[in-house]
Amino acid sequence: MIIKAVNISKDFYDGKQKRRVLLSINTEFYPGELTILSGPSGSGKTTLLSILGLVMSPSEGKVFLDDRDITGLSDDQSANIRLKYFGYVFQQPMLIEGLNLLENVLVALAVQGKRLSNKDYKKAEQILESLGLANSINLKPNQLSGGMKQRASIARALIKDPTIILCDEPTSSLDAGNGQIVMNILKKIAIEEGRIVIVVSHDARVLPYADRLIKLENGEIVSDTKEHSKIQKGVA
Amino acid sequence: MRSLIALKMVIHDRSSTIGSLLGVVAIVFLVGQQLSIFFGLLNYMSVLVDHGNADLWVMSENIRNADSGNFISGRYIDRIIGLPEVDWAEPILIGNGLFRTPNGSYENVRVVGTKRPKLFMGPWQFEKSDERVLLDLESITVDSLDLDKLGNPPIDYITEINGKRVIVRGITKGARGFQGTLIFAPLEKVRDIAKIPPGRYSAILVKLKDVNKEEAIKKIRTILPKCSVYSKEELSKMTKIYYITNTGIGGSFGFSTMIAVLIGVVIITLTMYTSILGRTKDFAVIRAIGGRRKDIAVIIISEIAIIVISGVIIGFAILATYLNFTRNVEIPNYFPIFVIPALALGTIVVSFLGGLIALRVALKADPASVFH
Repeated sequence: MIIKAVNISKDFYDGKQKRRVLLSINTEFYPGELTILSGPSGSGKTTLLSILGLVMSPSEGKVFLDDRDITGLSDDQSANIRLKYFGYVFQQPMLIEGLNLLENVLVALAVQGKRLSNKDYKKAEQILESLGLANSINLKPNQLSGGMKQRASIARALIKDPTIILCDEPTSSLDAGNGQIVMNILKKIAIEEGRIVIVVSHDARVLPYADRLIKLENGEIVSDTKEHSKIQKGVA
Repeated sequence: MRSLIALKMVIHDRSSTIGSLLGVVAIVFLVGQQLSIFFGLLNYMSVLVDHGNADLWVMSENIRNADSGNFISGRYIDRIIGLPEVDWAEPILIGNGLFRTPNGSYENVRVVGTKRPKLFMGPWQFEKSDERVLLDLESITVDSLDLDKLGNPPIDYITEINGKRVIVRGITKGARGFQGTLIFAPLEKVRDIAKIPPGRYSAILVKLKDVNKEEAIKKIRTILPKCSVYSKEELSKMTKIYYITNTGIGGSFGFSTMIAVLIGVVIITLTMYTSILGRTKDFAVIRAIGGRRKDIAVIIISEIAIIVISGVIIGFAILATYLNFTRNVEIPNYFPIFVIPALALGTIVVSFLGGLIALRVALKADPASVFH
């Protein structure tokens, strides 16, 4: 399965005038790749991620999952697609404070009311264990460090076996050590599990983990490379 | 899982939960307390009619309540007894007097005279002694609720009402009228106290045989065109409606009940709104990871349901404690069984209405907001 953006543009209104933040973006993302969307603030990378993740509609253009047009769907249809195909890792882990770690992971499975089975609980425990959180499953988010929370949010994204994982600045609130752990996990998810992983980041420390680097400036893709040497330099 | 999320959120957000619970408890308790006083007063309004074991009341013409009739002739009793439908007919006298308390002060009392030896309109419940004490001409009963007011006269205490010698021989329980202290005495004593002319009575109580009541009422109305003839139920209802509409009690209780509901709804609305507003990000995350608006609605409605049901239970527990505590004090209270489901249902409905604004906020949570 691939995800494809075709002529995506996005306008925002500030009350007085229209401001175009994305200009005819055309690109595709493939399984087994960790793609980093990079660029200065205001370049449109988070907006593109939001449109790809179906939490925002484009002003123009379409998003395809393989050949299926997933733009212009109803609210419920979009939610169903998000539930089925997408996993999200946010800049802040955004775990639900009242739930423990295990419940925070399971919530992604049962958010539409699915009755959870023992298999689901086992799976959640295995994922948390694989992310080094086996001893923390009963802890509440306020009892965890920032790195543990972010790993828990990755577990929440993985529990659904999503085809696409969208990450928005996943390391920006973490120290270098925890940032490396998180990026290693994401890299492993992309390569070993064959998922599409798209990471928005302007943190140069994440570049070594990228299989592909897309740079945006002023709402346009200014470069798109898979050349390791260029990615390392962050210049594409 | 959505209900579990709701439960966990309710437990986690303790301060808001306590605030919302307070709103629900306030509605149940304040409205329940108002209603118990209201129904207590309703009982007082028609206490004599409700507790008399007569089927019909015959009073002077054009009466508007059980307390406002003129005196009627005792000759009517013979006409009524003459009807084959009638089992018995007995007169009663109701008058006002000044009771001299042990410390020499005076209290207004309403004196109810019942005819010996049958004592058909006598006290219905006693705390001390029994109705046989009224067979003695000078005996009276006072109610336990009025003992303080009357200076705690002991049994066999000799005093005066309107200057006429009486002896306290019994203590009744729950015999209190809307117009104040009720004292029972033999009919002749009341005539003497209230200076009512011979042969005149406040009402004639009629007990029917096993016949059609409506037909019997029609027949008595025909033979006594100058009298009002009502069934016990009609007179009771008429008296209550009269006092509710003519004394401002209805409006007053309606207003205070509305204020109680309003206070509760405002508390619920504000606390739920603040709570949801503080958790908008959680709902945005739920939306982003695949939750539909209806899933958010299920969570919020579950939260409201948990709070409202808990609040209703706590509210009724506090109300029951209050009612139990005030059972033997002067505050009128009566809480009919049918009010419990009505109050619970009403509280649930208004509490949910209060939670609707919070629901609206939660449904507006934008999944795109989770991306910075």
